[in-house]
Amino acid sequence: MLRDRWMSFAFLAPAVLLLGVFLYYPMIGTVIESFYSTSFINPNPAFVGFKQYETVMGKAEFWQVLANSLVWTVCVVALQNVIGFFVAVLLNQALPAQGLVRAVVLLPWVLPGVVVAILWRFMYDPQLGLINSFLISAGLTTEGIAWLADKTTAMGAVILAAVWKGFPFSALIYLAALQSVDREQIEAATIDGAGALRRLRDVVLPAIRNVILVNVVLTTILTFNYFDIVWVLTRGGPQGATDIFPTKIYELGFGQFRFGEAATYGVASIGVLALVAALYVLAQRAGSRRRRPV
Amino acid sequence: MRRAPLARKAALVAAELAVAAFVLVPFFWMVSVSLKPPDEPFAIPARLWPQDPTFENYIAAFRPEFRTYFLNSLVVSLTSVAITVGLALVAAYAFSRTKLLIVSGLLALVVLAQMFPHAAIIIPIYKMMRAGDLLNTYASLIIAYVSVTLPVAIWMLRGFLKGLPQSLEEAASIDGAGPFRVFREIVVPLARPGIIATAVYVLIVTWQEFLFALSFTSTRDMRTLPVGMNDFIGQYGIRYGELMASSVLISIPVVAVFYVLQRYFVAGITAGAVKG
Repeated sequence: MLRDRWMSFAFLAPAVLLLGVFLYYPMIGTVIESFYSTSFINPNPAFVGFKQYETVMGKAEFWQVLANSLVWTVCVVALQNVIGFFVAVLLNQALPAQGLVRAVVLLPWVLPGVVVAILWRFMYDPQLGLINSFLISAGLTTEGIAWLADKTTAMGAVILAAVWKGFPFSALIYLAALQSVDREQIEAATIDGAGALRRLRDVVLPAIRNVILVNVVLTTILTFNYFDIVWVLTRGGPQGATDIFPTKIYELGFGQFRFGEAATYGVASIGVLALVAALYVLAQRAGSRRRRPV
Repeated sequence: MRRAPLARKAALVAAELAVAAFVLVPFFWMVSVSLKPPDEPFAIPARLWPQDPTFENYIAAFRPEFRTYFLNSLVVSLTSVAITVGLALVAAYAFSRTKLLIVSGLLALVVLAQMFPHAAIIIPIYKMMRAGDLLNTYASLIIAYVSVTLPVAIWMLRGFLKGLPQSLEEAASIDGAGPFRVFREIVVPLARPGIIATAVYVLIVTWQEFLFALSFTSTRDMRTLPVGMNDFIGQYGIRYGELMASSVLISIPVVAVFYVLQRYFVAGITAGAVKG
């Protein structure tokens, strides 16, 4: 037992200290860095204040990265959660080989991100890829499509790969939530004549509403900050068509050693994420107010 | 209206097969291409299974660099798992057994830290590592991995410890056992399933970590598997057979651990997410 508060602090100290030094201090460091200008040619930081924000936000590039980040996050989160939810509903039914399918479905989530990216790079390959090979043999196209090199298809292709990797996690969470829904309530609704869809809408969804919300917030944060798949698939290309905040920051910081500009993007990305989080909180408050009986 | 049970069953099985195909076709293809002899042409239509399966690609993939990357990944991941789980367990115990405003405040900060974009904080961390002459060392990666996995690990273990009965701890305490003995001899053994779940989680995250490894290691002999794999793409161009064989090799350890310990992991992660 930890009756003594000093004993509690002693138990907390190592972890708290580490988080302070390696997460919170760098967080502040990024903000400071964003006021300084550095480049490969001129590695000594020069204080420029808010000027860097003006420069960065004055470029069309920044707004494209922002738009890409939002499209990427919204699409991946929506698809991953919708597919994950319906897969969970499906796997919650009595099915042949249910245990096996439940285990197999988790596979993409366990595979390392770089492996998933390389695998999908190969799937999309114009000459050797499975997708083009299928399309050609089905007579839908005569020549392989360069999914990742075409500005119009690259984002969709990267999103599909990320959804493939991410949906199992959502399915896992939703399946556990579905299993925790009170069976008697569902049976009572069935006896009252509610069909499957009405039971889903009126009994199941309200019961697991909070799990859905938490999972959506969690996947939003993870997706917004996702780096591996995008970097390995496209490096943000072609012509910036899939450049999101993390890839842009990496490219500016470690590709061009423009630390200050990279930090400015970093601070902007934190701002966007905080804004999105605030929107979720507001949506949740509004939702629970509407639901609360008078 | 309810459909006839048979039609309903058929629709469900069809949906089940569709989900399994969505997951398995890319995976199956990865394994299949890894077993194709390098000279078997990529026919159109693609043949899903090789005519003469061979391990040639695996032998080629298991080159000396690959072995170095594998060893690096193993050292960095296992050390990070051990340190993270140890620190997180100690902290989670205090978080779950202390009712103090300042401790609740610290817990909020831990939860908030989960949201930090790694790309946004990496430059100051990089500069710290450079100042400490730690670039291209295991230490730089281990420090970064422990820091970024600690928040979730603390959260998972705190949830688990909160669910344990405290009567045993109280009894031992009354019998005169100090806090460290109570922790070591009562809490740690009882927390084993939670510890396993958390360790699996940290292993999955660190085994595939890419951004820090890419930024902190520039020499070949310090790279980890994900970064090494990324280098292979450029170096071997279009030799997908070898790339797929390496992909299978780097996936095996984490997939094996996951499926062996799956029940702990699923229970641990869903307890945190569903019960909150």
